[in-house]
Amino acid sequence: MRLMIFSDVHGNLEALKAVLAHSEQHRVHRRICLGDLVGYGPYPEECIQLVRSLPGCRVIAGNHDVATLWKTSPYGMSSVASKVILWTMEQISEESKQYLAELPDRLDIAEMNFSHANPYNPQAWRYVFDRKHALRCFTATKSRYLFIGHSHRPLLITRNNALDMDIQPVPGTIRFKLSDTRRRIFNCGSVGQPRDRDPRSCYVIFDTRQHQVEYYRTPYDMTETLRAAQQVGLPAMIGTRLKKGL
Amino acid sequence: MKKTPVRQRVNGNLRTRFFARSALLLAGGCVVISLLTFLNTRRLLMDEALEKSEVILQEVEAIRSYVQNELRPQMYALHGKDTFIIEAMSTTYVSVTIMDTFGQFMPDYIYRRASLNPHNPRNLADPFEEEMFDWFEADPERTFWQGIVKKDNKEFFISMVPDYFLAPCIRCHGKVEDAPESLVERYGRDGGFRFKEGDLAGIDSISIPVSASLRKAIQGSIFLCIAMLAAMLLWLFLFNRLFNTLVVERLTGMLASIQEKSSRKKMQNRDELDVLHDSLGSLRQYVRSAGIGEGLQPGFIGNYVAKHPLSVGAMSWLYHGTEANTGIPVSLKIGFAGTLKNPLYLACYETEMHLMSSLTLPNLPRVKETLGNVLVLDDISGDCLASLVTGQPLSFAKTRIIFAQLCKLVATLHAQGIVHHDLRPGIFFIDAKNQLLLTDMGLASSDLLPDPVTAAGLGPQGDPVFLAPEQLSGKRGDPRSDIYSLGVLLLLMSTGQSPFTEQKIPLQQWVELKEQEVIPESLTKTKTLPDQLIPIIQRAMSALPGQRYQWVEDFWEDVDGVLNK
Repeated sequence: MRLMIFSDVHGNLEALKAVLAHSEQHRVHRRICLGDLVGYGPYPEECIQLVRSLPGCRVIAGNHDVATLWKTSPYGMSSVASKVILWTMEQISEESKQYLAELPDRLDIAEMNFSHANPYNPQAWRYVFDRKHALRCFTATKSRYLFIGHSHRPLLITRNNALDMDIQPVPGTIRFKLSDTRRRIFNCGSVGQPRDRDPRSCYVIFDTRQHQVEYYRTPYDMTETLRAAQQVGLPAMIGTRLKKGL
Repeated sequence: MKKTPVRQRVNGNLRTRFFARSALLLAGGCVVISLLTFLNTRRLLMDEALEKSEVILQEVEAIRSYVQNELRPQMYALHGKDTFIIEAMSTTYVSVTIMDTFGQFMPDYIYRRASLNPHNPRNLADPFEEEMFDWFEADPERTFWQGIVKKDNKEFFISMVPDYFLAPCIRCHGKVEDAPESLVERYGRDGGFRFKEGDLAGIDSISIPVSASLRKAIQGSIFLCIAMLAAMLLWLFLFNRLFNTLVVERLTGMLASIQEKSSRKKMQNRDELDVLHDSLGSLRQYVRSAGIGEGLQPGFIGNYVAKHPLSVGAMSWLYHGTEANTGIPVSLKIGFAGTLKNPLYLACYETEMHLMSSLTLPNLPRVKETLGNVLVLDDISGDCLASLVTGQPLSFAKTRIIFAQLCKLVATLHAQGIVHHDLRPGIFFIDAKNQLLLTDMGLASSDLLPDPVTAAGLGPQGDPVFLAPEQLSGKRGDPRSDIYSLGVLLLLMSTGQSPFTEQKIPLQQWVELKEQEVIPESLTKTKTLPDQLIPIIQRAMSALPGQRYQWVEDFWEDVDGVLNK
């Protein structure tokens, strides 16, 4: 079974279409979105509708999705993010809001755990970059493989033992063979707003039969996204970050 | 479909079963009684024979005592101390001679005087008697032995007593030079000498053949068995006529009035009471469903007319119906009013209604409307999968088309966090275009909804044939339990036969059965089951969930690799 895992679409419809088209070529059976369908991007409603239409696709709530529903205050975010959230609230339909409101904040499927930021306190939105937070993640679940997003930076954390972990950024398209029994955290990067200085969309395919995780980077037509963002009056900073992958 | 009276399909099953089993029980009883009789007769024979042998031995001992204490001193007094007339003074000679004469009249009683070193070679101990010498010598307190011994393929009751030399005996059995001349002249100088007082002189034994007595006992037992069997047959014959008149004919008459839809093959190995039980069960469920108030067949539910039932599940009927105004055909899923009074089942049914209403899948009928405990669905036509696979396998092509839809449907459900828990052929319909439709999700669970079955700790639910071992053990199961059920379904579709033919066995036996046997050998030889498919189904039906396919997609890819060749 080949499971596509993607995260942080952030209203970037062009990027979402690109990764979906790319994944179609790689024989994907199921999909899981790790949240943040909206925020930053000019097409929040379209992205929600597209993801909803995917057969057998499950979605987890992200902090931007929750903020759009006023479950948390958007004013706790950066000024750019909060501005876009307030704009997004006006753009999405009641049906889509209802859909976002019903999203779970964590999923456990077989030996895998899925959450937007972390599994130990999903609604607190803490980033997992270091050993301390990785350890909390491993303690919070018995799953062997943990898939997260939120930071927009693809990352692989491998637990060697209770005290020792390997933490490595994942550059570009790369494949990891899971030939041992060590537990791992995979940060799946971002589809709509990568921040690892690579502007291409990032997503992951987990092949349960081959026991491997494949990271893919997919280019997309950014000009259309930038044009739409400018047209609807989103902050110019967003365009700059998309171009540079920051 | 032409309806066939039940009388023709199940004719005589109950009577045959009843009398076959009664005959077996009674025949077994006859054999057991005969065997017990034989064993008792044998015990009595042995007791009697051993008692008689003991009497004869005492008699021999009396003869020997008479010779030793009366006759021999008298002979010494008459003829002097140097005289030894063997015929009158030897205890052994006299006792053996008298018992030989006794044996001519009573050939079944064999007396033996055995010695390891006798005067007369005729009295030399055989190997068994040598063993008994050792046994008596090992403990001088042993003065008697009885038992059954096999000699020359014949069995004998034997009683034995030891005989020790006394002081007067030593004259004839001590030194050769002290022995009477008449004795040495008759038996020579080798045997019977060099003993001293207290040595074991010999063993006196009585043997009685038991073969003849045992043969009589066996013949008596066989005669008794035959007589009892004959009486039993006569009794069964008379009882058969009575049972047929009073029960079977009247029961068959009742069944003839019940119109069953089941096929003839389903009726195999079933008797009148099974059919009556099923019919009463259907009737009970019908009465329950009728409790919703409007009444059914025909009846009105909102703007819809219920016509005839399509299938029945644990908590609901599926009815064919129409819209009252337009006549557009629909299907009506109607919860059993009685069952749904139980909050647990109501919660299950509400979960089912929620899932069917919220999912939009090509293999799920679309929900048009919800009316209380009634789901109005798009029209479901075609045949039930259960009827398609009963007794006959599907073609490779049809199996592939249907199973592909089945796997895709289950995979989609699993991807949505839904586990069905009760996949079985009775809940699938196949239309004329081979489109598969799932009609029941009464036991399904979703990871986004509270699970009433788990919350209530409800035991195994569903058809044991299709349930995974962990479900039968009382666990709720997970997607891999559905994969097990898919394995059974694929086997059923490929062979037309269920791998488990048992009907009414306890759950623990089901678990043991499923842990022991994945695919019966008889099914693996079915022509319609490709060899390459067997290990795939075996893996899907592994007793341990960890050894099964973990994902429906992997299972289907392997199946498709075989069926697509």
